[in-house]
Amino acid sequence: MKTIITVFKKEVLDTLRDRRTLMSAIVMPALLMPFLLYGMTKITSFIMEKEENKKLKIGLLEAPTDFAGLLDTAKFEIINGVTLETGRDQILADSLDAMIGFASNYGDRINTMKSGKVNMWYKSTNIKVKSRLSDIIDDYESKILDNRITELNLTKGAIDPIDLIRYDIAPKNEQIGQTVGGFLPYIFIAFCFMGCMYPALDLITGEKERGTIETLLTVPASKFNILLGKVFTIALVGLSAALMTILGLAVAVKFLPDMPEDILEALGNIIGIKFVLMLFAMLIPLSIFFAGVISAMVVRAKSFKEAQSIVTPMSFLVIIPAVIALLPGIKLDWVTVFIPIANVALASKEIVAGTIQPIHYIITVATLIILALFSVGISYRQFSKEGMIL
Amino acid sequence: MINVQNVSKTFKLNKQQKKELQTTASSINAVNGVSFQCTPGRIYSLLGPNGAGKTTTLRMIATILQTTSGEIHVCDYSVNEKPSLVRSKIGFLTGSTNLYDRLSPGEIVEYFAKLHGMEKSLYTERMDMLFTQLGIHEFSKKRIGQMSTGMKQKVSIARSMIHDPEVVIFDEPTSGLDVITANNIIELIRQCKDEGKTVIFSSHIMSEVDLLCDDLAIISKGDLVYQNTMDNFRAEFSDISLTEAFIRVVQDSKTLQNDPTL
Repeated sequence: MKTIITVFKKEVLDTLRDRRTLMSAIVMPALLMPFLLYGMTKITSFIMEKEENKKLKIGLLEAPTDFAGLLDTAKFEIINGVTLETGRDQILADSLDAMIGFASNYGDRINTMKSGKVNMWYKSTNIKVKSRLSDIIDDYESKILDNRITELNLTKGAIDPIDLIRYDIAPKNEQIGQTVGGFLPYIFIAFCFMGCMYPALDLITGEKERGTIETLLTVPASKFNILLGKVFTIALVGLSAALMTILGLAVAVKFLPDMPEDILEALGNIIGIKFVLMLFAMLIPLSIFFAGVISAMVVRAKSFKEAQSIVTPMSFLVIIPAVIALLPGIKLDWVTVFIPIANVALASKEIVAGTIQPIHYIITVATLIILALFSVGISYRQFSKEGMIL
Repeated sequence: MINVQNVSKTFKLNKQQKKELQTTASSINAVNGVSFQCTPGRIYSLLGPNGAGKTTTLRMIATILQTTSGEIHVCDYSVNEKPSLVRSKIGFLTGSTNLYDRLSPGEIVEYFAKLHGMEKSLYTERMDMLFTQLGIHEFSKKRIGQMSTGMKQKVSIARSMIHDPEVVIFDEPTSGLDVITANNIIELIRQCKDEGKTVIFSSHIMSEVDLLCDDLAIISKGDLVYQNTMDNFRAEFSDISLTEAFIRVVQDSKTLQNDPTL
């Protein structure tokens, strides 16, 4: 135990002085959430506002005068002389935002109580164009409809007999769990893995690359205890990375100004003591599992570069099961509870939603503990091979 | 005391190693049936060209590598049966200054003292003595990454000697070092001898061997091809320089090793 603590303390001190590890394990995760929440929200609303107020250049083909009159000149500019042939090219070249073409028999059909064809050309990559023009056309259609109802002496109910009112009675937490709850664990898991990656390269491969492993192996301490000291340091950094993500999220919710109310409410509901404690009970064995697996993989590498080329593909393997939690309909059951990483993501989602079954949670944690022990065992096996460590 | 009895070491070769060594063999014999004895208060030198098996032999004595066959005893403890006890008796120093760049000399030496299971009062006193002796105090707060090679080597010495080992193993300790730093190492080896420690060092620099050693062995292609006291070696090859004598022994051994009739 004394050796494990000695190695652990030394490695923590050494790691804390490594800028690269600090950046990836502390700074990046801490800044990511505030940036995502505040930066992205602000940027998105700025872009949407800009697009909403942008004066759209519209080409009209055979449009009735009452339709053209609906287009607010402050928000729309009607470009004259546009034809069906030139309009498409102009839209593709971005000199025109959209083109609305009325069929030649449109007037006759409307006047005879039939439906008239209206075509709209636009680029879906230009956000807001479609919705802004659709709104105008919907308004125009409503007016025609109102006229027809009056003319035929009908009521609105006569042509729209069903008045459907939807009530979403899913509790708020369950709704959040379905949306944000799936995305958050993905971030925790990714940062936990990345947090483990850099110290593992430094503490295992770095020791070989610097040549310090040789002198370390001449001390009367067991290799297993030396390895455990290293694995615990790696796991601690991974865990810190996940913790910093939550801390960044809490700071963002509490202190960032002008945050949208719905986001604040959703996140405020998630970041509770219960969620954090239950999440950490899973992240501790998960980070040891990551530390053990990465250590076992990088023991054979002779240089940082080689170790990176071994570990990088592994990050894809980590992401795949984490993404499973994002898929709709996938739940924590008697199968998924045994799938490492996916079980953490799914359990987190259900903790947020408040729908997790205690037995599923216990099995998830137990599975992770077994995997953590197994990965440390594999790592020790590799670390004991003289051909691997020299 | 180090007692090496009929020790061999075979390394299995992977595909890449086979390619690098241009061989189809599945394994390579790095050391073949080597036997020698190092006694306290004397300096034993292991000589040989690059790739002869010197480092492998020293690593087996230091328990870093396991022997394939044969027995090694350090202070009467078998390296295979009691590796931890052997490690507590040895100090290991190489020419390359292998240290942790982000730690200070004090932190590194303290780390190794703790790994040797030393009590704080004991290692603090010994660390102070070593730091004074080696002149480390003036840069003891500096990080290794900011130090010169000479400074680093002094820290390496302090790290290897903190637990006052009975047996000191030096693997090409002066290789790549400047004259002043190399001289510090030579002084240290002498001091170890004066303190009655068992000293073994590998080298291919004959002037260094001439200056220091009491007994020597020459190893070539994994075989121990010559073993004697330094005085006898000088007497045997009195008509030629020591470097020439070393080359002659190695060349003669190669001729014998390549002779298919033997």
